[in-house]
Formats: sequence, structure tokens, C-alpha cells
Amino acid sequence: MASNTKGAILARHRANDDLNTPLLPQVARGDSDLAADGMRGPLDERIIAAASAALENGHTHYVDVPGIGPLRDAIADYLKGAAGGHYRQGNIVITAGLQESRFLSVQMIGEQYDSIAVPAVIHPGLRKALGLRSRNPRTIAVSQAKGYLPSIEAIAQAASDGCRLFYLESPSRLSGAAYAADEVAAINQIIAEKDAAVIWDQGLAPWVEGAYASFAALDSDCARTAAIGEAYSGMGLASWFIAYIAAPEAWVSSMQSQKQIMAICTSTASQYAALEAGQLYNEARGRQLSRLAQLRADLLSAASEAGLSVVGGEAVNVMALKLSEDNMKKISRAGIDFAAGSLFGAPDVIRLNVNHSTAAALRALS
Amino acid sequence: MSKKKKTGTSLLYQLIGEARGYDDVIIMGRGDPDFDTPPHIVAAAKEAMIHHHNDYTPPQGLLPLRQAIAERVKRVNNIDVDPESEVVVTNGGQEALFLMVLAVTYPGDEMIVPEPNYNTYADSLAFAGGVKVEVQTYAETDFRADPQDIRKAITDKTRSLLLVSPNNPAASVIAPNDMREMLDIAVEHDLMILADDIYDLFVYDDFQHVSPASLPGGKERALTLNALSKAYSMTGWRLGWIVGPADLMARVTELKAAVSGGASVISQYAGIAALTGPQDAVEMMAEAYRRRRRMVLDALDEMSMKYGMPQGGQFVFADIGFTGLDSAEVAQRMLTEQHVLAYPGSAFSKDRKDYLRMTFLQPEDQLMEGLERMKVAMDNIMAEKQ
Ligand SMILES: Cc1ncc(COP(=O)(O)O)c(C=O)c1O
Repeated sequence: MASNTKGAILARHRANDDLNTPLLPQVARGDSDLAADGMRGPLDERIIAAASAALENGHTHYVDVPGIGPLRDAIADYLKGAAGGHYRQGNIVITAGLQESRFLSVQMIGEQYDSIAVPAVIHPGLRKALGLRSRNPRTIAVSQAKGYLPSIEAIAQAASDGCRLFYLESPSRLSGAAYAADEVAAINQIIAEKDAAVIWDQGLAPWVEGAYASFAALDSDCARTAAIGEAYSGMGLASWFIAYIAAPEAWVSSMQSQKQIMAICTSTASQYAALEAGQLYNEARGRQLSRLAQLRADLLSAASEAGLSVVGGEAVNVMALKLSEDNMKKISRAGIDFAAGSLFGAPDVIRLNVNHSTAAALRALS
Repeated sequence: MSKKKKTGTSLLYQLIGEARGYDDVIIMGRGDPDFDTPPHIVAAAKEAMIHHHNDYTPPQGLLPLRQAIAERVKRVNNIDVDPESEVVVTNGGQEALFLMVLAVTYPGDEMIVPEPNYNTYADSLAFAGGVKVEVQTYAETDFRADPQDIRKAITDKTRSLLLVSPNNPAASVIAPNDMREMLDIAVEHDLMILADDIYDLFVYDDFQHVSPASLPGGKERALTLNALSKAYSMTGWRLGWIVGPADLMARVTELKAAVSGGASVISQYAGIAALTGPQDAVEMMAEAYRRRRRMVLDALDEMSMKYGMPQGGQFVFADIGFTGLDSAEVAQRMLTEQHVLAYPGSAFSKDRKDYLRMTFLQPEDQLMEGLERMKVAMDNIMAEKQ
């Protein structure tokens, strides 16, 4: 006998486009997959040794909901060093990956606001996280010239319209474009004036060459910013699902309660691996950053020779192209997967990961 | 002492915080087995770090793990599922629970919940905007949920029925006849069933656990969760699952992707090793819990405590009403005076102020010591009363 109750549940589910937004793969499914959010990478033997030693020594039990103390400390220190954030252990929640960071932050911080301002072009994971329980999103227009980030004027407009919570990416997860220091200062001024708050996705910040302007650095009382990002991206931990939220303690408390309800804690293997990765990060990231920067520079020349239109961006691990539908098809026909801008809200753009296979995608277009 | 009166989870956090301050504390509260994860599972995780650390996993989990889960639920629970479309891997039973509740609940929907029950169901339901409709169960009848009471609790807003068997904290197991009747009620009133089988390998004496999804007509309306946490001593790995009909599981998959995107590939490989490798460690642990349960029951008998016979699970829910004190106070005194922590029933439900929950997840010498200390605390409380 068919169930009407189930039928009704499924009908409402199917009508929820936000919840049904497809996600991008966490890591590449093969060499010709340039669509993934996270980076594949070699895993340092010391990370394997540290994570397996932790397990062998009995760290196989529940741990504290917001994460093991040493990792929370390490992330707080890392954020102080890398992005100038003003964090201590009590500000950090370790999460089971960036999507959990998104979900917890928009749902739990969002609960305290009437609405949340969301850029028209944003990672699809955000729409998905909001689809589960809408926090009344309001769209902020983005500027193509700014690599699909909202302009300062658009943010000011949203604030004047009454929005008090903003979700911003810098760098953009589509184009890699990041706000410059003066822009971040201008955003901060708007936010401070309106006593508003920001969820700031800075997951791609490690891949910005040169100075990165973090919003969290300006929030010296740690009062209005939740910064989210992957824990040590590029260290071979993308499939281990480990990320962070750094936020005012009052927000940590509600996110921690919700994390208890939906996960209890984060996998110990992932946490001990991240702890070791943190030790190695400065050196390893530096090497990878210069390698990626070189690769991307070569790709930019190739793109320019082929007459392709590259969307400007500062993060060197991604490259976004404006393409016709025909050209998108050409890349697909060459067996290469890319992240479709349509998932982000920019249908005429694609995002390619920068690695040794990216040149093949460009060749398919020439 | 002017301690602010706390309830529910915050009361628990307060007690746990205090317990941490005592070097010699014996914790008979948390549902975390004392055994470490068996070594062959840890070894498989290490192998995965070397060979599979970059593997892609879809939100619903690695196919070989889903296949191992499908075989497990067939073997243990007699539920037939297609690993391709009817299994979703989760970050522990906790995420499975959260997703199951969200999968069937829209704001205003009612879920029938036999009480006492695992708190997180109420929290998840609150997140979803659903309404908990309680059906009470009692120690005198070994916390049996009476199908007739469930029937009476149904309204035109009821959408689902929660069946946690063996139960936490009550340790009751829904008898096969009752389970059939509950399924009949669910079919008659067109309710979804949420089944939590996380303690299904811990069933004592002659009691028998039946998964509702294994009964005719059950699978299409039931979501069933389980996890490796309790049976394999893998609480820190965060690995669980939901099985159910493909149409609902498609929704569960989207919810899983929205909440956390996927599960750690290392934990997933460890999970494959756990489910497909040697099972002697699981049997050894289950045997230890059987022995310890007996120890606890003997000690409670000596203390003249009443309890619902724990038919399954890893808990005893004991009635301390005869002390005339609130269980929060009894737990507090046991902790402060004797450094032994049992969870007060009021942490589970406001109606359970007369109960204490004890686990038997400690090494036997510690458990013995904990029970001795409990006896001292109870003697003191009773002496004061006279
Ligand atoms: C009834 C029940 N369901 C689910 C869980 C969640 O367990 P875990 O997330 O550790 O697998 C627990 C944990 O205590 C439980 O008692």
C-alpha cells in the first residue's frame, strides 16, 4: 500500500531546489577531474605516523564536542599568524569538514538574525545548507569585474536595507578573487556601523600569493566575525573531512550544542592528523604555493594565447574562465570535469583546478 | 552551596565538568565503551592512510562500505537493502539520528516517542520544528511501550513513530509481538517509523530484538539507523548509517550532503574492516557486558533499588524514588562525596527525577569499586533520612 505520508514528504522534498543543489566532489575522482573543492596531495609520513600512533594509543573514544584542545589551540595560533585573527581555544570549533562549518555557522548564527545576506554568486554548499532550514536569505548583487564578489556598494546597500548578517567568501570559491585590504576595511566599517555580523569563508586564503586581507583581523574584540575554512588544505587531508569555525564564544556555545546534537564530535584520526599537519604547514604550503603560482602563470599565458577570457582572481589553486556553452561542451568532450559556474550562480563561467591536468582543458579549447 | 539549578544536558555538562576534577573518579555515566577499538581495525585505518587517503567519497559513502553494511543488516536484522540506493553512511549514529528526524519531519509534524528516551531525538525534533508526543513507560513493567498507548497518542498531525530498541536509557527491548502491533498501527495510520538499532547486538537473557524494517510492510516506511560506535568500540571514529527505502534514502542523501558533505575516508575503510573482518573482539566485548550487567544488578539488589530489567543495551535505569530526593541531588552527592558519576534521570526527562542511569562500560574492577562507593553514598543518604 502506497504511503500518503511518505508521498507528501517526498513531494515537499522534490520542490526544495536549494536542498537539492548538487555539490562538487570533495576531491578529484581521477586525473581529469578538475571540479573538486579540495586538493589531492601527498600525505606526509609524519602525519600518518601521528594519526596512527594516536589510534594505537587508544584515542578511539569520544572527545570533546568542539575538538581536542591541542588542535583548537593550533588552529587559533595558525589564524593569528596567517590571517591576524584574534582567537583563543574557546573561539574554535573543529568540524567534520567545510560543509559542516557552513551548516553550523549559517544555521546557528542565522538563528539569531532575521535574514542572511548571500552573494548572488556563492559556493553551492551554502544554498544547500540553507535549503535544510531556510534562514531567510537575501541576495546581494555581485560584480563581474570583482571576480563575482559583491561590491562594497552592494554590501552597503544590503546593510541599509536592514540585513544584519552577511555570508561572504574571500577568496571567492568560484574565481579565487579576494578583497583587497582597503575593501576589507570598508566592509568592516559598514558592519561595525550597523552592528552587523559576518560569516567569512576564508578557505582559499592559503592559496593567495602575497598579503591576504582577512576580515577577522579587523575584528579585534572577536565580536562579530565567524571565520570558516578547511584545516590545513593542501596537506592531503581533503577526504578526511576536517575544518574549523573561529567565532565569538557566545556563538561557539550555540554551535557546540548543535554539533553535539548532530555529530557528538569529529573523528579523532582526522583531528590528530590535522594536529600534525599544522606543524608542517608553513613549509609545505610555501612550496606548494610557489609551484601552483608558477603553474597558474603558465596557464594564464596559454589562455591568453588561445584568446580565452579568464576571470581575475588571487587564489592560485583555481582558475575561472568565461566560456560559451559550445566551449564548455568541448571540455566535457575531452573527458575533463569542471565545476560549472551555474552551480554558483554564474552560468557562463567554469572553474578549473590548477594542476598538471589543467593545460589539457585549455588545449581542448584551442 | 548556591549552585544554579540546571536541567537536561547542561546539568550533565556540569556534573561531567566536576567529575574531571577528581583523579579517582569512576564514571558510570557516559555511553562510551571502555575497550579501545580492536587492533585489526586500527591497522586497516593505517593502511587506508597509506593507500587511500586521497580517495573520493560520495556523500552517501564508499560503495564497498555500503555493501558491507547491506550484508550486515541482512545478516543481523534481516533487512534487505540495495547498497547502491538504500544505504547512507553517516558521521556516527548521532548524525544518522539527526538526518532521520529531519527526513520525516516538517514544522508542526508530530512524532510519537516512548519515554524515557535518548535526548538527542527531542533536540533534533526541535531543530526540525517538529513536536514530540510522549508515551510514558515505567520501571514496574520493564519500560514496555504499550502499543495501545501509542494508538491513543495519534492525532491528525502524527507523522512518525520512534522505536529505539534496545532503549537508551531504559534498556527495554520491544518484544516481537509488540513490534508487529506497532507496525500495524503505523500502517493503519500511515506513519513513518524511525528505528534506532544501535544496541541490537546487546540483547540479554531470552529477549529478542526485531527490526521493524524486517517485517512485512515495514521496509517501505522505516528508516533504520545503526553505528559501529557501541558494538565495535569505535565512538571516536564517527561512523554510522541509515538504511531505508530508495525513495526516502534519496532525500536522506541530500540531507547528509547539506549537513556535512560526507564521512572521513579513513573511518570508512576502518568500518569496512570492522564489518567484514573477524568478529571475535565484538563477541568478547558483548560477553564482558553480560557479566558486568549481572554485577550491577546484584549490587542494585543489595541496595534495594528497583529497576526495569535491562533487556538489552548498555544501561540500567534504576528507581531511587525511595530516597525521597531528586536524582540530580543524588547524582550530585554521589559525585561530590564518593567520586562516582551516574547520570540523573532528570537529564533525560523532567518526569524522570526518580531515576539514575548507570552504564556497565568500565573495567570490572572499577565497576566493582564504583558500585561499592554508590552503596556508601546511598547508605549515607538513607541514614540521614531516618
Ligand atoms: C540510542 C542512541 N542512538 C544513537 C547514539 C549515537 O551514537 P554515536 O553517534 O556515537 O554512534 C547513541 C549514543 O549514545 C544512542 O544511545
